[in-house]
Amino acid sequence: MSENAANSIMETKICKDAIVSELQKKKVHLFYCLECEELARNIAAESDHITLQSINWRSFADGFPNLFINNAHEIRGQHVAFLASFSSPAVIFEQISVIYLLPRLFVASFTLVLPFFPTGSFERMEEEGDVATAFTMARIVSNIPISRGGPTSVVIYDIHALQERFYFADQVLPLFETGIPLLTKRLQQLPESEKIIVAFPDDGAWKRFHKLLDQYSTVVCTKVREGDKRIVRLKEGNPSGCHVVIVDDLVQSGGTLIECQKVLAAHGAAKVSAYVTHGVFPNSSWDRFTHKNNGVEEAFAYFWITDSCPQTVKAIGNKAPFEVLSLAGSIADALQI
Amino acid sequence: MAAVSPVTATTAASLTLPQLTSSSSSPFTLNFKTDTLSSRCVRCGVRSLENQSGHRSLDFLSSGDPISLINPNSSSSPISMAASASESGAKCSKRVCLFHSDETRDLAERIVSQSDCIELRSINWKKFDDGFPNLFIQNAQGIRGQHVAFLASFSSPAVIFEQLSVIYALPKLFVSSFTLVLPFFPTGTSERMEDEGDVATAFTLARILSNIPTSRGGPTSLVTFDIHALQERFYFGDTILPCFESGIPLLKNRLQALPDSDNISIAFPDDGAWKRFHKQLQHYPTIVCNKVRMGDKRIVRIKEGDAEGRHVVIVDDLVQSGGTLIECQKVLAAHGAAKISAYVTHGIFPKSSWKRFKLDTKGDPAEGLSYFWITDSCGLTVKEVMNKPPFEVLSLAGTIASALQV
Repeated sequence: MSENAANSIMETKICKDAIVSELQKKKVHLFYCLECEELARNIAAESDHITLQSINWRSFADGFPNLFINNAHEIRGQHVAFLASFSSPAVIFEQISVIYLLPRLFVASFTLVLPFFPTGSFERMEEEGDVATAFTMARIVSNIPISRGGPTSVVIYDIHALQERFYFADQVLPLFETGIPLLTKRLQQLPESEKIIVAFPDDGAWKRFHKLLDQYSTVVCTKVREGDKRIVRLKEGNPSGCHVVIVDDLVQSGGTLIECQKVLAAHGAAKVSAYVTHGVFPNSSWDRFTHKNNGVEEAFAYFWITDSCPQTVKAIGNKAPFEVLSLAGSIADALQI
Repeated sequence: MAAVSPVTATTAASLTLPQLTSSSSSPFTLNFKTDTLSSRCVRCGVRSLENQSGHRSLDFLSSGDPISLINPNSSSSPISMAASASESGAKCSKRVCLFHSDETRDLAERIVSQSDCIELRSINWKKFDDGFPNLFIQNAQGIRGQHVAFLASFSSPAVIFEQLSVIYALPKLFVSSFTLVLPFFPTGTSERMEDEGDVATAFTLARILSNIPTSRGGPTSLVTFDIHALQERFYFGDTILPCFESGIPLLKNRLQALPDSDNISIAFPDDGAWKRFHKQLQHYPTIVCNKVRMGDKRIVRIKEGDAEGRHVVIVDDLVQSGGTLIECQKVLAAHGAAKISAYVTHGIFPKSSWKRFKLDTKGDPAEGLSYFWITDSCGLTVKEVMNKPPFEVLSLAGTIASALQV
């Protein structure tokens, strides 16, 4: 074999190897907060390349965290991720302590998965004096140290206000994902005889989601002021005879959804269901939606939420009409980016 | 009959709660109420019950005479109102608007009463249904061009986020400078970075604070007292200017006022405490303790110094369970100490561990302390131990008021 031929065979082999390794997925070591254990296990179950790691979460007598990352040496040179859940202010500090440390343990890269970014939903910056807690949260997240892999990636699902994406500084790389594909997949499983259309409870929801759901006809609601009260009205679209799925990013007390359902039913909707990515449900407000089996017609046929808020998922269990659509597969894919 | 509320004192800024023994012949009650703070008028009602005389009430504006140190031992003399020379008539180097958290309201009010130049401001601290804070800074436009300070207290992780939101917001409201007063810097005490994998929460907190936005006055100043580990001062980045204060001057003033002030020795429970404090307490004889390993146990021993016949004051920066102090107390008593007292700047006392400390009523220092001084850096503790001998609270208000003028 001539030298040239041998060389070109060698080059071809090198190219092939490069392509194969490109296609190989990265191995990721996934740490998680206590609340998220079930979701973490589900994520690891989705992929051979994701292994679970553990942290000792304890407290000192004064209430401050006493934390230990197990096998800290083993994660050197590895891709590492942390699955967080800021379900209340009390649990933020312990998770931030871990999040600030992991990138500095000579890891190859660091990703923070924070499915639900809280604080952004209630506040209105209307007056000087309003304190933007969403911005505080983004600032804390933006201050994560860089690792050898560069800025930390931050994976967030269906962030509430679109402008919040600009709250993050350049030291982090936010990756904005959505739970909507889980919904469309689920809707495709419903009987074709049902004419499914999508309803948005307000213009904000429409802005966030209409492009992702353009294969469905839409109904848009809006809130109008009548004297002192605010009433939900139908703005555009016709729900008559349809299975209407109300779509929003999150639910708190559920008041908005209930008002929407009434208006849709009054306009002739055959069935009404709901989807929210984040079932926040403070003070167990999900109880307003559970089927009571007392002979009264149930308002919601299905209520889909994801597992971004693990405390809610634990509380709801399997109670109709709730169904939990898991983000595990989507997160496992996002970790490969 | 017990004395009721704390009273702010002189430039020494000590807040002594009168100790009443059952033999006291003229118990008195002292009420300290701050009325509408916008007028900064301090009302003090004094009732002497000894001879059933009428009420004597003294109204005075804080620009004039601050309340002086109440001397609990002079039971028959009226309260002396010594005007504090350095406070009255002093010009303000800067006027400061002082915001505070819920827990630190009492200390904030004391600070404001110490100085004409400091004004109390308020914030609406509410919560949304989901538990996250709903905050509003009142009269935000009114602080433009003003020096602003925030008195924080991170007594537990749960209260950090709401205070942090305010701390991050205030510097950006066109203030002329911003100071964060955090009397007690938590987290630094229990952790040991021994293994890779230990998570340094003190460093996390320092990092979070180092990220406070700069205001027109430049980097934020951070005022903190007796930080636990000396190296923690290096945890702060250059975006923040830490100002490390100490509560020891309050202790020194208090000791000088004791009847047996010439018989006092200072004891340090370990070398760490000695390193932190011996230079400030040089003119007292010292005793240094340490822990020695005997088999599996760790025993407190006296390393150097002599306790015999002395009123020994154990000094440390903070107390948690109190175990170390109690071991020291036993050893010092066994070595002949006549009286034992304790001082810590920060009375953390998780789970009400202050209840382990009893007053020495029988001249038996192994069983009780003569005094246990703490400052008001930990507001929740102050509420619990107020009026409970042997505890006395020395207030940081004066020191903080001065620090705010820096």
